Amino acid sequence: MKIFVTGIGVVSAIGLNAEENLCSLRSGVTGIRRSSVYNLMLGEVKLCNEQLIQLLNLPNEDFSRTTLLSILAAKEAWGKNKIVDDIRTGIISSTSVGGLDRIEKYYFESQTNKSSESYKLMTHDNGRTTERVAAELGVSGYIGTISTACSSGANAIMQGARLIEANKLDRVIVGGCDPLAIFDIKGFSSLNIYDQEICKPFDESRKGLNLGEGAAFLVLENDQSISITDNTPLCLLSGWDNATDAFHQTASSANGKGARLAMINALAKANITSEKINYVNAHGTGTGNNDLSESIALKTVFGDNIPPFSSTKGFTGHTLAAAGAIEAVYCVQAIRSQTILPNLNFSTPMTETGMIPEKTFRPGTQIEYVLSNSFGFGGNCTCLIFGKAN
Amino acid sequence: MNVSELNPASELIEPDYSEFIPAMDRRRMSKVIKMAIACSIDCLKQAGLDQPDGIIVGTSMGCCVHTKNFLDKIIGANDGPLSPTSFIVSTHNTIAGQISLLLKNHGYNITHTQNSLSFEQALMDGILCIQNGYSNVLIGGADEEEDTIYNMKARLNDETIHLTHGASFFILSGKAASPASVNLIDVGSFGLINNPSKIIMRFLDSNNLSSEEIDLVLYANTEHKKTDELKMIFGQKKIFDYQKISGTYYTNSAFAMNYGIDILRLRSHPVFGNSIGKVLVCNNLIPENLGLILIDNKNQLG
Repeated sequence: MKIFVTGIGVVSAIGLNAEENLCSLRSGVTGIRRSSVYNLMLGEVKLCNEQLIQLLNLPNEDFSRTTLLSILAAKEAWGKNKIVDDIRTGIISSTSVGGLDRIEKYYFESQTNKSSESYKLMTHDNGRTTERVAAELGVSGYIGTISTACSSGANAIMQGARLIEANKLDRVIVGGCDPLAIFDIKGFSSLNIYDQEICKPFDESRKGLNLGEGAAFLVLENDQSISITDNTPLCLLSGWDNATDAFHQTASSANGKGARLAMINALAKANITSEKINYVNAHGTGTGNNDLSESIALKTVFGDNIPPFSSTKGFTGHTLAAAGAIEAVYCVQAIRSQTILPNLNFSTPMTETGMIPEKTFRPGTQIEYVLSNSFGFGGNCTCLIFGKAN
Repeated sequence: MNVSELNPASELIEPDYSEFIPAMDRRRMSKVIKMAIACSIDCLKQAGLDQPDGIIVGTSMGCCVHTKNFLDKIIGANDGPLSPTSFIVSTHNTIAGQISLLLKNHGYNITHTQNSLSFEQALMDGILCIQNGYSNVLIGGADEEEDTIYNMKARLNDETIHLTHGASFFILSGKAASPASVNLIDVGSFGLINNPSKIIMRFLDSNNLSSEEIDLVLYANTEHKKTDELKMIFGQKKIFDYQKISGTYYTNSAFAMNYGIDILRLRSHPVFGNSIGKVLVCNNLIPENLGLILIDNKNQLG
């Protein structure tokens, strides 16, 4: 059974929609800037909540930023689609913090001023964010949320494909979102894994990651749905897999076992050999541990024929649960524009592997299959493969 | 089967965790992780399994106690250095992740977090895994109580609920693992709905069942009052509010499934009577969300 991708939407530090994101990738301009508030390099979406509410023409509710960014990206992906009886439509989103950006505000206020507004403490429920997005699109029925830390977005996409494959749904909006919550900014700081400059994925001198924020959604459809919507397929979601590293709560194993398993099984699911992959959008966070572990896993899977690969996190920062979804949109765009996407700030290969990522935006490349990696805390490793639609 | 109703003094019944978790790991684990791991190990033991092919967890609030702890540390640190201990175990998938770490399991691993439907969605995922050829899947629902950063009573608009916590885990398998196995017939997750009765009827219909064929309905809703609709559908069949024994947490439908399985295994119940063959868990805890789990005591799947 074919799973078609027929819509994409994305908001990140490098743009408020898919076209703006691609434009930034083309011109090689990063969205990561020094935040004066935290004195940290962050990939912020350049609109505050009030501006997002205005842009989306929403009522003045107590929205979490997660919900606002999600609605923006989901609406772009959804486009002119309509809810009709003959198409069983669902939504699966993903997030790691949900509405914690509001909770932390109210909680900090209540702890410092001792004022009690506990009735406001209702947004730290990941599912609520997805329900609000569903309501905005008019979706009811299967409304789900996945939370597997930094692989969440990829798992939501996989989950949508699996429900279509099992004939539970005909069409599904899939994706993920994370805002820059103080919780995460302080959390990753406590782990000492920030690069104080823009991150350098796969570089020998890489120092760590930059946090980012954003949201991205894709519309997946089966044949029957397309016969009714008449949507043009942008590409296919050809393969997927989820495996576990089972090594450490926050670190990846030296041999990249989880990553290797996810890639090998996703290739098997797509029913293709590794030589068919023309571009890999790596997880590539810029941390010493991830990039080495992922490189070793890539070497194990692809041997001496590693396809062009890059991490786009030098543009967006690490957007946590949104990363897998944002990068899935970039993969769709890579296929659509037959382009390999660049990896910023690379100069020196790692001594352990000698691998060199793609450094320039390279249009005019024949791209039939693209592989996207997402790994997270808890050892979650998910791999998606997108294929050209005819 | 000596289950009594909750009273204000009721407390969580916990096993001796030292039987399940090494002391060094146990110290750092929050309640939800300990509950989930103890259930998981017990489940695998009962099924005679070393490793499941997949681990699927449904949890609404995840590791919210550690989330709150880290927020407190942020306040306390006043921009000074912070210990990452609470942060790294605060993600929702820490539960499934810690189970995989303990078992050294490299298989499918996922966490569903859709408030009151988290468990039903985990269960649907488990069925997909079995249909895709997995021999077995470890699956569970777990939530811990934490009401300082999430006001569940306000969310459910019901000040009378008894907030609790719990974990219930199961092994799903394509074949009956033992004579004590029960049959999971179907699961449904329906969000943002306005007519639960219609969906219940359609769900039964799609399973070629009439409402008369359901022997027991285990239900949950808020304010414990909306039984009229259920009574309309199920007539004189027995309906029971499982929150009277589980208390309220978002994944308590996992408890209801466990309770239903216990009743099916015994085929009788002091209150519900004999010859209970089919049980429907009808989770309408959030008024616009409906979860349905249908089980019977035929020992074959499908």
